[in-house]
Amino acid sequence: MGLLASERLKLVRSPIWLLVLVSPILALTAGFLSSLDDVAPEARYLILQSSVFTVHAILLLPILTGIFASFVCRFEHSGGGWKSMLSLPVSRTGLYAAKFITVALLLAVTQLLTLVSLIISVKFQGIEGGMDWGAAISATVSGWVACLPLAALQLWASIGWSSFAAPLAINVAFTLPNMLVVNSERFSPFYPWAQPSLAMLSSGGGSMDFGGFTLPLVNILGTVLVSFVVFLCGGLMHMRRKEI
Amino acid sequence: MKEWVIETSALSKRYKGRYAVSNLNLKIGKGEIYGFLGPNGAGKTTTIRMLLGLIKPSSGAIQLFGQPLHKHKLSILRKVGSLVEYPSYYGHLSATDNLEAIRRIIDAPKERIGEVLRIVGLSKEAKRPVKGFSLGMKQRLGIAGALLGNPELLILDEPTNGLDPAGILEIRELIKSMPREFGITVLISSHLLSEVELMANKVGIIRQGELVFQDTLESLQQQARGSISLRVSEAERAMVLLDGIGVDSSLAGELLQLDSTDDAVVSKAVKELVMAGHAVYRAEERRKSLEELFLRIVGEGQG
Repeated sequence: MGLLASERLKLVRSPIWLLVLVSPILALTAGFLSSLDDVAPEARYLILQSSVFTVHAILLLPILTGIFASFVCRFEHSGGGWKSMLSLPVSRTGLYAAKFITVALLLAVTQLLTLVSLIISVKFQGIEGGMDWGAAISATVSGWVACLPLAALQLWASIGWSSFAAPLAINVAFTLPNMLVVNSERFSPFYPWAQPSLAMLSSGGGSMDFGGFTLPLVNILGTVLVSFVVFLCGGLMHMRRKEI
Repeated sequence: MKEWVIETSALSKRYKGRYAVSNLNLKIGKGEIYGFLGPNGAGKTTTIRMLLGLIKPSSGAIQLFGQPLHKHKLSILRKVGSLVEYPSYYGHLSATDNLEAIRRIIDAPKERIGEVLRIVGLSKEAKRPVKGFSLGMKQRLGIAGALLGNPELLILDEPTNGLDPAGILEIRELIKSMPREFGITVLISSHLLSEVELMANKVGIIRQGELVFQDTLESLQQQARGSISLRVSEAERAMVLLDGIGVDSSLAGELLQLDSTDDAVVSKAVKELVMAGHAVYRAEERRKSLEELFLRIVGEGQG
């Protein structure tokens, strides 16, 4: 699809790739620094996995989602880009889809690299039995899926707000309370900024056995799906009606 | 029946009760260069945004290439190249990559990028990042982008805004060559008549959202035709004399103004005056400039 190829071209020579690397590198550092000496050998893997993923899932992943959403709209906000873009024979739905898919792909790359960080950490720490692929892949994939409602919400904000920074600031402001929000099992599943961490860390058995993390993954993904549909439709409708 | 490339009927756009564009009936024929004139804020850009489907009209209809825009938007836009207000560009990309970003969407052949860069004279700068370009070069890149899809209609909103005289001349020559060399119809908006009169063959003037003039440039020039002033020894008596032989004239200070610039009328008037013993010191043509006429047209209704 031409629109996607065009979006890709715009990103190729942009600093976005440095941002993609930030979180996996931090996750790797966390993996290297965690001390597993006083943990029972059979629990070591899960503890390591949650320490590699925690900062990423609670803080960086939601922030990156907002950055990516703002970033793919940045080119259009500067200098009348929406006008020239939509004067081309493209449908607004198509353009919106291309932007959303681009954000989703950037997030997928981030998740993949974070998984790589986990693999390296497991090797480094010399965990007996090596990777628990089931737990690792399930956490990575459900973390990615749980980002999508937030991505849709942030894309909506980025399109509606003719500014690069404003949606980002809002995003950071809503991400920071995550630490508190995840403690509430009633509230946290409905908080789009907390959904990625719930989905990614609720693998059970790790050190995360409180608040929203005790909820079954299926419940969280159900909420994720509903909010995804709501935000995606909202953003799309806004896009279709927007006066350019 | 003439083939209209752009035809709007009773096109209106209302913002919070105020009409930005009202009851506009544009008619632009194939191969024309249509100068769309009006002061800033008269509704030119609003009209162009409606023509490109960027905003929806409050009422009225738009037909492009004989088809209603809202029904066949994508297939119509495929035949339109546009540059609205200022050129948008991706500063971190080269000129070629900027065009490539558009090309991937409209699916034009790859060679076309080199062609349009040549047309706008940017071949040498093709590999440079666009953020280092001058305004004129960015504008030309914008036009290159508009030409990329081999359009049949080119819509340019104030394409010479912010350019220096040399840049304006360049763009003007470029636009003039479009219908001749590529058979493209051009709609170009501007707030300066002087800029448009050298390239347009049809002119539409918009004032406070309403179209107050739409005709060929010659017809506008006709309206701006001049008058002949005579300086004679006794102006008042001379006027009476001319009245007697059926030549209309009026008194402007010490000058006698003839309404007609027809050679026969002027020579007859001078001859009669000399025969009657008047001294004719000077006979000169006063042209009202197009610009004056334009300013008068757009100035009306503002007092």
